[in-house]
Amino acid sequence: MYGMVAIYYVMIVNILYFSIIGLSFRNIWTIARRAKYSSYNTLAGSELVPAVSLLVPAYNEELTIIENVNCLMTLNYPTFEVIVINDGSSDKTMDVLIAEYELHKIPNPDMSGTIETNTVRDVYHNPDYPQLFLIDKENGGKADSLNAGINLSHYPLVSSIDADSLLEKDALIRMARMYMENPEETVAIGGDVRIANGCLIENGAVHNISLPRKIWPMFQSIEYLKAFLGGRIGWSHMNGLVIVSGAFGLFRKDSIIDVGGYRGGYPGEDMNIIIKLHRHMLKNKIPYRVAFCPEAVCWTQAPDTYGILANQRKRWGRGNMKNMIENRGMLFNPRYKVMGLITMPYNVLFETLNPYFRITGLLALGGYALLDMTHWKILLVFFMLNFFSGYLLSVGALVLEEIAFKRYKKPSDLFKMLLYSALKFVGYHQLGVLWRVQGHIQYLQKNNSWGAMTRQSWNDESETA
Amino acid sequence: MIAHLTLAYVFIYICLGLIGIGIILLFQMKLAHNRELRNIDRYEKKHRDYFVYIQSHLEEDAVLQLPLGKLTKLERRMIQLKYIEWIEAFKGDHRRKLIQLCHDSGFVQEDLKLLRRASYGKRVEVAYRLGGMRAGEAVPELLHLMQRRKYNPLMIVIARAIAKSSQQPKDVLHMLRSLLSHNKPIHALAADIVTESSLDSGILYPMLLEDADPGIVQVGMAVTRGRTVPEVMPALKRLTGTKKQSLREEAVQLYLGTYPALHQDAAIRLMKDSSWEVRAATVRSLGMLGVEDSIDLLTEALRDSSSKVRYLSAESLSAIGESGFEALCRVARNGKGLQRDAALERIEIVLAQETEHSALEHMVAYNKKRLLHTRYFGNKSTQRIVGKKALGGDYTA
Repeated sequence: MYGMVAIYYVMIVNILYFSIIGLSFRNIWTIARRAKYSSYNTLAGSELVPAVSLLVPAYNEELTIIENVNCLMTLNYPTFEVIVINDGSSDKTMDVLIAEYELHKIPNPDMSGTIETNTVRDVYHNPDYPQLFLIDKENGGKADSLNAGINLSHYPLVSSIDADSLLEKDALIRMARMYMENPEETVAIGGDVRIANGCLIENGAVHNISLPRKIWPMFQSIEYLKAFLGGRIGWSHMNGLVIVSGAFGLFRKDSIIDVGGYRGGYPGEDMNIIIKLHRHMLKNKIPYRVAFCPEAVCWTQAPDTYGILANQRKRWGRGNMKNMIENRGMLFNPRYKVMGLITMPYNVLFETLNPYFRITGLLALGGYALLDMTHWKILLVFFMLNFFSGYLLSVGALVLEEIAFKRYKKPSDLFKMLLYSALKFVGYHQLGVLWRVQGHIQYLQKNNSWGAMTRQSWNDESETA
Repeated sequence: MIAHLTLAYVFIYICLGLIGIGIILLFQMKLAHNRELRNIDRYEKKHRDYFVYIQSHLEEDAVLQLPLGKLTKLERRMIQLKYIEWIEAFKGDHRRKLIQLCHDSGFVQEDLKLLRRASYGKRVEVAYRLGGMRAGEAVPELLHLMQRRKYNPLMIVIARAIAKSSQQPKDVLHMLRSLLSHNKPIHALAADIVTESSLDSGILYPMLLEDADPGIVQVGMAVTRGRTVPEVMPALKRLTGTKKQSLREEAVQLYLGTYPALHQDAAIRLMKDSSWEVRAATVRSLGMLGVEDSIDLLTEALRDSSSKVRYLSAESLSAIGESGFEALCRVARNGKGLQRDAALERIEIVLAQETEHSALEHMVAYNKKRLLHTRYFGNKSTQRIVGKKALGGDYTA
């Protein structure tokens, strides 16, 4: 009996996934035309575009930081500043930045913001690079660094960017255009994050877009496409986005201040800030939107070894669990509209608890099959349901990509993506379930560390591409 | 149990069917797109000489034409987009000749027909091209298209096309009315759209500022910011007296920012304004003018309830030579509270800055101010007592 419940669970969760991807399909043509026919060149030189502070938290990023700052300093955007926040790195992140840009300490930096952070030791600047600032602070985590960046920032919009990510030259102006379309209601906009492993990187820009060669980044490529194009376009359509990726997002500074800044001390700060924004706006009955801009692309280095990937996924699992428990009051609460009635229940039932339904369902069906071999058919049906519905979602995401962006040019790329979309279900998918459960265990063990993340220089990455 | 399994089978079959359709679609789209890219590349090579010919004859009187021979649909589109790219890049006669070439080649007529027939999405594409070709005859249809739809991102593409193609200011005004009718505060974006227009800004911008709709006036102010258009000054001057506070604030800032001549009576009136932004713009302007007559007004403004106004008043006083500095010293010695603080803060800054100058005239000016300071305070330091920590800050700046 429980086995049939598990089968129905898989069918229901997939119907929900299909509904979300259906919404993505509904919007994809508008997105494609918007991406193609909006006048970004005009906007990129316009004084009417709002100024943005780019916040780059950096912890032990000596290998990639210069390339990344160079990339940001050459964005096609009229007015912006880059604030790198060194979060007590133990490597030479500070030294390489100071040497490269000949930065000097500012005697009395104007940290006019009031969000509490760990001690800021110094702020560095060089008038020859007027739009670059470097904050050196005691280690306090990514959220703490972002808060310190907000305290120093001089502009009304802030954008969080991971130090291991590269923005496309017009990514920011595309987001700004979306913001300008509805400035009063837009509190946050998420960008599309793609995997840079395998691409050729030159002078802080991604050239020769290609799929990763290694197996782990390749799986993540498919996963990201599915999550961003298949999922987030649909969720943003109903204003139910629960996360704006920490790798690249744009926020209204006053809204972040209103909710007390990023929550420190625990991973999952990118999801947390979005939930806090939803909660604040809905509680105070302020019209708002959290939007997603798939044409604003950020390329990121994906973990390419088992250990680092496992760490990352366990951290995500912990962060998700923490956020769901912390905000359990929103669950099924009509006051929180789409968030309370759809997004949060969906996340708890079909994301946080998903591994448990699947594992117990599989165990139950396996048990039946062992007890009575005539039940092998049910077990097979369970497998096929999981596989074909999941594969259909991957194919759907690839079709969305092909309609709107067509970034991967070769038909062989298509073959490869289709192949890995299938292979994902043999091992990788199951590992994902395991990592999530392990993350939950870590949460119960009160482990709130970030976990080891090693970086590879962009040059090395390009050479292997 | 069997019924449950049957349902699961149906689900699997549907998934299988959709997967099959999806994969066919994927390859069909990929191959078609790659074929199109290859063809475009081939056509670009084929017409390279023709494009060079066109560019080199843009300055001559000769009538330009499409390349000879039969052209495929894609070939025509590729050539049309090349013309549009050049129209965006060139101005003056070159642009006019290219626009004429688009008309003579039949591109405008083709797209006009499509604009009446195609689906909404296609019409947006057509609108983009018509805007690129500055097709004035498309404006009524584009306005109609804009008015029929709910607010959406593609409307901005149509609005830009109208701004580019409009040959009369009233069409731009119609477009703005339509765009702003959705009650979204998109004045900055609307202003950016207006900048696409090739109409005379000396005629268009004052019309925006004189419009009865405050939304359009706001667009007019946004578009005026940072641009030198002398024709807008009378309209801006009138707006400095408008009752709507947000418009008045912006008008005063714009007016005084570009043309800081300010009559004493007007300055007195503006300093009584309830908006601190108006008062701040006024004192800043008085400092730029550097007229000694305004010293009393600026000294009085050191008592203002807004810290920004106090700060700027002190800054402006220090900009009015020795007499302004003397006024600061007087307030620092005889004044009280916030007024005194503002004066002291500025004196500190002035004295600290002046030591950095090495030029003779700066040294002389500095020494005079030093003397004034000594006359009021002797050799005593006039440093303020400031708190270690300051709360607050302007997060919207």
